[in-house]
Amino acid sequence: MIELRVNGKKYEVEARPHDRLSTVLRDRLFLHGVRVSCTEGECGSCTILLDSVPVTSCMVLAMQAEGRDIVTIEGLGTPDNVHPIQQAYIEEQGFQCGFCTPGFIMATKAFLDRNPSPTEEEAALAISGNICRCGAYPYIVRSVMKAAEKLRQQKASAAD
Amino acid sequence: MNKALHFKDKPRTPFKIVGKGVPVKDAREKVCGTLKYGVDASAHGMAYGKILRSTKPHARIKRIDASKALELGGVLAVITHEDCPQLNWENAWFNYRGKIMDGIARFVGDEIGAVAAMSEEIAQQAIEMIEVEYEPLPTVFDPEEAMKPDAPQLREEGNVREPYIVEWGDTAAGEAESDFIVECDIKFDSQQYAPLGRNACVAEWSDDRVTVWTASQTPSELRDAIHEALGIPQSKVRVCAMPSGSSFGSWWANSFMVVTAMLARKAGRAVKIELTNWECMATVKRRHNEITRGRMGVRKDGTLTLAQFDHIIDNGAYGFKDDVGFFCVDLWGRAMHGHYAVHGVNTNTLTAGCMRGVGDVTLGAAVERLADMCAEKVDMDPLDFRLKNQIRSGELLRMQHAKRYMHGNLEEYLKGIPEESRKMWPRLFHLSSGSTEQILTDGGKAFRWKERWKGWRNPGTIDGPKRRAVGVGTGAHVCGVEFEGSTSAVVRINPDGSAKVHCSVGRQGQGSETTQSQVAAEVLGIPFDRIEIETGDTDSCPWSHGSLASNTMYRVGFATWAAAIDARQQLLAMAAREFFDGDPDELDIDDGIIRYAGRPDSNVRVTIEEAMNHFRGHDTLGQTSSITGRNSIPMPPATTFARHFAAHFVELEVDTETGEIRLLDWLACQDSGTVMNPQVLKNQMIGGAICGAGFALYEGLMFAEDGSIRNAALLDYKLLRAADFPLNGEVVYGDSYDPVGPFGARGAGEAPIAAAGPAICQAVYNAIGVWVDMPMTPERVLRALGRI
Repeated sequence: MIELRVNGKKYEVEARPHDRLSTVLRDRLFLHGVRVSCTEGECGSCTILLDSVPVTSCMVLAMQAEGRDIVTIEGLGTPDNVHPIQQAYIEEQGFQCGFCTPGFIMATKAFLDRNPSPTEEEAALAISGNICRCGAYPYIVRSVMKAAEKLRQQKASAAD
Repeated sequence: MNKALHFKDKPRTPFKIVGKGVPVKDAREKVCGTLKYGVDASAHGMAYGKILRSTKPHARIKRIDASKALELGGVLAVITHEDCPQLNWENAWFNYRGKIMDGIARFVGDEIGAVAAMSEEIAQQAIEMIEVEYEPLPTVFDPEEAMKPDAPQLREEGNVREPYIVEWGDTAAGEAESDFIVECDIKFDSQQYAPLGRNACVAEWSDDRVTVWTASQTPSELRDAIHEALGIPQSKVRVCAMPSGSSFGSWWANSFMVVTAMLARKAGRAVKIELTNWECMATVKRRHNEITRGRMGVRKDGTLTLAQFDHIIDNGAYGFKDDVGFFCVDLWGRAMHGHYAVHGVNTNTLTAGCMRGVGDVTLGAAVERLADMCAEKVDMDPLDFRLKNQIRSGELLRMQHAKRYMHGNLEEYLKGIPEESRKMWPRLFHLSSGSTEQILTDGGKAFRWKERWKGWRNPGTIDGPKRRAVGVGTGAHVCGVEFEGSTSAVVRINPDGSAKVHCSVGRQGQGSETTQSQVAAEVLGIPFDRIEIETGDTDSCPWSHGSLASNTMYRVGFATWAAAIDARQQLLAMAAREFFDGDPDELDIDDGIIRYAGRPDSNVRVTIEEAMNHFRGHDTLGQTSSITGRNSIPMPPATTFARHFAAHFVELEVDTETGEIRLLDWLACQDSGTVMNPQVLKNQMIGGAICGAGFALYEGLMFAEDGSIRNAALLDYKLLRAADFPLNGEVVYGDSYDPVGPFGARGAGEAPIAAAGPAICQAVYNAIGVWVDMPMTPERVLRALGRI
């Protein structure tokens, strides 16, 4: 048994030493927004935030995540109350099949936390750890740029 | 007759919802991660399955002993060929023909057994405990070797399919009339779908009926496949197709789904088989290995005199195609004399099937290259050369052989069509609408082609070892085919005034659930957000060809449109009788409210909800509780007149020292008739360009000596990333209006991938002066330059 802190909640879960974090999140906590495709850290679909750093959760052992702060796509927004980044992806249609989308959105979150006013080129590089096989890249970059704008506005109005 | 039935002409009044870029229906679920894909399927109390796969490329299974595996704790069932019914089944478009486990392995990775256990790990352990004794059989991996008469044969029908031939005129005359003849001999690499999202299948039996949950673009065809392979009635199979990740033709009816159904029957409980990424890339399907030898002839004035191509497609072990959807033949159909022959052949390699733009990505690229060589010979701008030699609306199509695959005879079919419907059809075997003309012209202006094009083999700029140049490529594909069945849809109007569409197209991310709903909303006058849709459950959807061959918008869209019209007519007939003093044709529906169409003086209005509740009858005898519309208007045979077109422009830079190619600017243009949803269409266009650029620059499977695949992993099979493609994402739409497609729309998904590769090839040629075969890896570029 290990204790994981996911999206602000504590869970006691069974995890064997060789269990990947992605497996535990999907199969034991039923967080299906953690998408797993390549299982070798290449596609970025399973990207989550581990202490605010984007990592491919298929390359992290569940035990390594004990005591750390885990955020998955489920911790960002819900269909009734989407996060501004998610809203930006909807408006710019920054996806097709949507399988890779949670990973892209988590990568976007970490990037915009670090760089709130990026250029398009910086945005494209920042999400180049993720693969979108449908090829929505130009619209994903637009989504990142629009998300940045939304977050800046939100911050500005909060400051007022 | 209802005005909506006059479908030949563009209406004068603007559309309500057609053409609007509404977000796709599942957008929120996608960005929140709540959408369930095939891999997320589960059933209560299910077991987990794993497939035993051949380690030999061609072998008879002499002995297979699972006794040790069956003794392992937690193992529930094992199946081998001895448990399988030995019935042939066929996937759509001959993407598979054969049996599930017939005691012979035909490629490394072929299914030879399966285990169901209490966990995936136990199942895997059990797989490793099964003892297999193989009797090796002779192998053949090269398609040209496999065509030789003394080659080892893979299947009872033999390795080689009868050539599929399209010809017109007289090639000898064409040669005599040519001032120049150009030739090519190209071997294409096999592209992998690389389906991010993988897939899984859950099967569960209840008495003698099986329900299957999996991601599929073709729910109806999957039901047929299970029916054929298991020898059970169609009515005993229910497919619940779930959304897939990027599929491009990968997830139709796949053998692992049939295996899951068989394993679940043996295990006596629900079983889930989830494919690993390696299994997705090495055991399901791939694009064909293709070889093209071609010649083209041209007169000094730029008239194409000859198009002569021999094309070999390697079907791998279980593919059975003899044709590819080679609509480049029609695109360049103005050539005076033509001969295209396609040879399908089997080898001991992974099964090949239809991947997005099948045939037009490969043969089409060869035709485009030779056309470019012709244009250079007569010193014509490639854009002008295309305008001169490509098909226009109304012209004769060269693909007359559609007749060959029609079930029954086309003439017989036509006899059964009422004269009233027949009169509204376009002229068969002639292009109904659209072409590359407008998109080349408008696209050329938007791209500033005339300014940026510097002539053949003339790079725009040279900066040390770096050379920049522009290129233009074109592509075409069909808008659905009828060779394997018609399309049907049902549209139901509910008591609450909402409507539900039932059409079996699956969901692979291209937005079909949204565009079909837009069609229904426009016809019914019901707000878009009050249209619900079911696309995957074969118990509720009538049989339909799925999302393949760019079928969805055109043929399924036609069925949805026709079913919605039927529902609307029923509704208005009852409403006219009950609420209005007049003819149903005088009524209109807008925003869910029925009223007189042309009588501003009348304020009689009734909402659909009120009308439906009245028909249902609260305190009187009701007439009906819901209205069910079906498509009763015969769909004309789309293959005989409908195509969609793409023209792509690129600027790129080739580093002649490193061989690297960098894409700098891109413009995608498309003629798909009416744009149903610009957000959806532009993603298809740019997504097609990126997948095509992958084929042109990076992607190709590598085969080992035993025919197995060496790079079946995303680490080793390189795909484009965001920074590898120009970011502008600009597109240009044509504005043709199709006389048959719903509200003038046609197919969309496959022409863009066909246009992308040729644009890149031409630009590279202009930059460095040599033609490079795809994928143009740095190594191939340097070899072509003679540097290594």
